[in-house]
Amino acid sequence: MQIQINARNRAYQFETQSGRRLLYSGLAAGIHLPYECGTGTCGTCKAKLISGEVDDAWPQAAGRKYLKHSADVLMCQCVAKSGCTLEVGNFVYAMDPGACIPVFGRGTIVNARLLTPDVMSFCLDLDVPCDFDAGQFMAVEVPGIAGFRGYSMVNFERAARRLEFVVKKKPGGGASEWLFAGDIEGRAVEWFGPLGAATFYPNLGKNILCIAGGSGIAGIMSILSRARQERYFEQYNGNVFFGVRTYADAFFLDELAGLAAQFPSRLTITLALSDEAVSDAARSNYPAIVFDSGLVHEVAARHMAGKFQNVRAYVAGPPPCVDGAIRMLLLQAKLSADNIRYDKFS
Amino acid sequence: MSKRFVCPRSQVPPNGMTECEVEGGLKLLVANSGDDYFAYQAMCPHQEVALCEGLYDGSVLTCHQHLWQWDIRTGAAMGLAEAPLESFPVQLQGDSLYVVAQSALNTAELFTGIGEQTLAAIMALARKEQYAAGTSLYDIGDPADDFFILDSGRVEFLIGRERASPAGFMLRKGELFGWAALLESQPHRIARATCLEESEVLRINGKQALQALAADPASGFLVMRRLSSLIARYLASPGAN
Repeated sequence: MQIQINARNRAYQFETQSGRRLLYSGLAAGIHLPYECGTGTCGTCKAKLISGEVDDAWPQAAGRKYLKHSADVLMCQCVAKSGCTLEVGNFVYAMDPGACIPVFGRGTIVNARLLTPDVMSFCLDLDVPCDFDAGQFMAVEVPGIAGFRGYSMVNFERAARRLEFVVKKKPGGGASEWLFAGDIEGRAVEWFGPLGAATFYPNLGKNILCIAGGSGIAGIMSILSRARQERYFEQYNGNVFFGVRTYADAFFLDELAGLAAQFPSRLTITLALSDEAVSDAARSNYPAIVFDSGLVHEVAARHMAGKFQNVRAYVAGPPPCVDGAIRMLLLQAKLSADNIRYDKFS
Repeated sequence: MSKRFVCPRSQVPPNGMTECEVEGGLKLLVANSGDDYFAYQAMCPHQEVALCEGLYDGSVLTCHQHLWQWDIRTGAAMGLAEAPLESFPVQLQGDSLYVVAQSALNTAELFTGIGEQTLAAIMALARKEQYAAGTSLYDIGDPADDFFILDSGRVEFLIGRERASPAGFMLRKGELFGWAALLESQPHRIARATCLEESEVLRINGKQALQALAADPASGFLVMRRLSSLIARYLASPGAN
């Protein structure tokens, strides 16, 4: 089926297949359609249906609250029943040369394990190798649960055959409950990606500041992995602030301590505990990690005071953490907006 | 539109902002900066996000959703923002704030910051016209004499020989189209422009506008620089990361 998107600068045409989300078909054709979460939450991919018929693959998607008119649809959730024309209120361009064009694939879940009582990690063995940029995420659909969910890659490599993800337990969240219910080893899932614009490239030429809350550390791990592979921290500073409620909620500390030990003069990893004071045991377990208590963006503001020159910030985590960090970076740190990278999931 | 009451000035926190609804249901963002007050469209021009929920430090307004930013004194786009804010001049009388609506020409990005006399000269050239839905403003091959600034409504463009490639432009108030009239050696239209809804436009003769700009080269330079970046937006892809 032929889909036409009328953007503010020109029209684009691409083919879609039955059952495939219009957003995904357009992105897979190399057209940079507007989106952020890609999974039904943020409302950024809102479009107006001009002609043709679509089905809503996930009528309960939270992002539907952004739809104001009866002809409005979320491109990430609708599938075509006929050829369609839609209109978006944005300038739309082809993806940059060298961008990782997203693709459709299937994968098998392996290495599922609990990192803390309410955070797990799992890997996907992919049926086709996948290129992605550090900081990107995959849309994953698990069997029997409507709608894709976005999970950031933890690892970084080209032509990856295996991706690692982190998931926070979310009571009432269909996909999260399915993953935490156990017995997922070897199960097949659908994926589409990579997605997301909060990406790190080694030619950046700036110090990097990462502020992550909880499972938001996943994409930051990928950024750190790429930076380590390129020996980025021999030239530029890295400051990573990882916020959790208590020490028992922290994970990836071995990996983070290993990174800090590898680049002791330029890479600083700070764990911020919002709900408890720092114990001596924590400090002696991880001498390479700095500990402090407070909300992660407040801890970052304190430790970074006077060090915000030539900084690119990456922010990820639950909405209050992301909002607090952005407010701090803009108003206190006076970073320019294009040096604050995050993907909006709410 | 005549002068409309907005709110008592005490309702706007010092170097802060608030959202107000004025008579007629128009919603405005009202901000204070030092001794001055400014009023803008209440919603972000990007998506339907209330700007009063954004961040404001007394000089720069930031929409919290995608960090589009504007200079509070002019409404001009800064940083990532791709569109300026529609501004409503504020009058302070006693302790009350009032707004007066502006012509689309004042909100036109193309003409922001140009000399007052030159703007007045161009304003004198502008004819306000109203068209019903379905009216064609021009067709491919028509002489490109006039350019247009959209005041209200919606205009669609069809480009190419087969008219098969709609560029579905959704113009905002103050946006320019038909700019071939401002170029040399582009005597004919390359697109068909049709009003999709009842639309109000300002029609301005290109040659006469160019004469007015030639008399004031500083303003003319500003306008031409804006026009060239506007044209480039339709051609170029945005910069790489």
